Amino acid sequence: MSAVLRQSGAWPARIAVFAYPLAFILFPLAAFLAYSFFWTEHGTMSYALTLGNYQRFFTDPVFLPVLWQTCVLCFEVAILTILAGYPVAYFLAGLKGRKRYVLLMLMLVPLLMSYVIKIYAIRSILGGNGVLNRTLIWLGVIDDPLTFFVFNLNAVLLTLTVLLIPFAVLPIFLSLERIPRNLIDASADLGASAAQTFLRVILPLSLPGVVTALTFVFVLAIGDFLTPQMVGGQSGFTFGRIIYSQFGTAFNWPFGAALSVILAIMVIGAIAIGTVFGRDRSAGR
Amino acid sequence: MFGKWVKRGLPVMASVCVLMSMAAGADAKELRVLAWQGYADDDWVKEFEAKTGADVSVVFIGTDDEIWAKIKGSEGKDFDLFAVNTAQLQRYIDAGLTTPIDVEKVPNQKTQLPIFNDLAKVKGVMRDGKVHAIPFCFDSIGLIYDTNKVKTPPTSMDVLWDPQYKGKVLAYDNGEHNFSFTALTLGIQDPFNLTPEQMDAIKKKLVDLKGNVLSFYSTADEALQIYQSNDVALIWANYGQQQVKAMKDAGAPIAYVNPKEGALAWLDTWALTSGVEDKELAEEWINFLLQKQIGEQLSQRTGFGNTVAPSANAAPDDKLIYLEAVEDPTKRADLWNEIKAAQ
Repeated sequence: MSAVLRQSGAWPARIAVFAYPLAFILFPLAAFLAYSFFWTEHGTMSYALTLGNYQRFFTDPVFLPVLWQTCVLCFEVAILTILAGYPVAYFLAGLKGRKRYVLLMLMLVPLLMSYVIKIYAIRSILGGNGVLNRTLIWLGVIDDPLTFFVFNLNAVLLTLTVLLIPFAVLPIFLSLERIPRNLIDASADLGASAAQTFLRVILPLSLPGVVTALTFVFVLAIGDFLTPQMVGGQSGFTFGRIIYSQFGTAFNWPFGAALSVILAIMVIGAIAIGTVFGRDRSAGR
Repeated sequence: MFGKWVKRGLPVMASVCVLMSMAAGADAKELRVLAWQGYADDDWVKEFEAKTGADVSVVFIGTDDEIWAKIKGSEGKDFDLFAVNTAQLQRYIDAGLTTPIDVEKVPNQKTQLPIFNDLAKVKGVMRDGKVHAIPFCFDSIGLIYDTNKVKTPPTSMDVLWDPQYKGKVLAYDNGEHNFSFTALTLGIQDPFNLTPEQMDAIKKKLVDLKGNVLSFYSTADEALQIYQSNDVALIWANYGQQQVKAMKDAGAPIAYVNPKEGALAWLDTWALTSGVEDKELAEEWINFLLQKQIGEQLSQRTGFGNTVAPSANAAPDDKLIYLEAVEDPTKRADLWNEIKAAQ
């Protein structure tokens, strides 16, 4: 009786479970894929299938270099967020009791703020006579405003790093938290110094978290077009901005869709690599 | 009563009202207006109604496509007249959706500013000797400069390439407009229909411009914010006087100039639909709006230039080049990406 009830009650739920990702994830992705085989001429869409969009991506000298440059940039962002995020996560994981979670929550507060507002704020900090430059001049460190972080790729790098640090801290924190206390005690009992314990026990065990963080940040950064648009100036041109432009004035949705599909493949590739290298090796034991 | 709701700009209510008024039959003295916000303010409508005894219903639109949908959708029958820019106007004339205007019935047309009162010289409003639309309001895309940093007032967009302003120029992130204005700067006659060779030359010139540019902006707000936290001397002012006003309100020491080679500009006009019911009343409406006082109010309220009273949007001898549909927007957008990607 109860089994029958569960069975019958499960069907609508099961349909809902499948319908949701089907309607809101799979269908839009499929639509993108389909669009990438269409083409436009003089602002009108043609639904005849073509591989021209992909061909153009590989033959036009503009797109591959920009994609490569964007990948390098996002990888740098990922490395920087890890360098900045690891010590934070380590500190948090070392705290005891409630304090740890209160501080963790505080660190996540910036995520509640609108992305655009944060970029605007950072832009007025990084400007030619923004907060940072004025402070440095006031302190007498420099005489003329520095320009190496004003409206260029460095500005994009800095902004993305600042915005994405929480996404690096969280997975690292989780992997650090999962390290059994007794392993660290054992290491100390066997005469290892604090540095040795960190390098030979804690760091290796937290690597899966680091790889997850790396993937997270890379994927989030590569899909971003707003940050480069707003702080990148004339030299901070990224792949996201090219995709964005195809849907605006260019009115070339099929080509934009093809570029998005290529980006999606890159992202899936990055996640796959992250999954392989980030597998928790202790889990099997 | 219905008229009042319509004026508040509730589009659904508005179309219902239009349908109802149509169902009620062609009662005497009724005017159906399709306009942009700011072109048919309540006080003007009331005054016009009092003066003519007509009942005016106004529907406000938000995009060019919306106008097309409403006018083309009803083959011109739902409205008596509509506001449209000169670039868009052409497809309405092509499709026979306009009725030529009898300029004699619009005596105030004679009092329009010199750059507008000879309709034969206002590109796009006449065809085959007939007047299809009367200029109403405009804005230019000129140059904003910081008067502390640019000592001699510039006269040409050339100044954007001046090496002494390297890294102090704000340009607009739009390939279509950038090709058009650079064409004018290079002395090309028709900036909206470029040959491939002209496009190549302009592309090179724009890559050069990039070296001088601090950033490409999208909104007027954004330009102001960048101006406030950076050393900016020149801004290519896509939003014309609205942008000037916002910057002056923020206390920026700036001035505005239209370049001598010609400033890109948009020009909105009033046109009669092919389905106009009371043609004389519609012409009277245009005439009514072409009064100095209303023109001044329009400029004051919207920041747009009116066509009867002088405004900061254009000096009497400025050369305005009204925007037209360009030869290939996609091509321009692609080239613009190449320019942005160029090292």
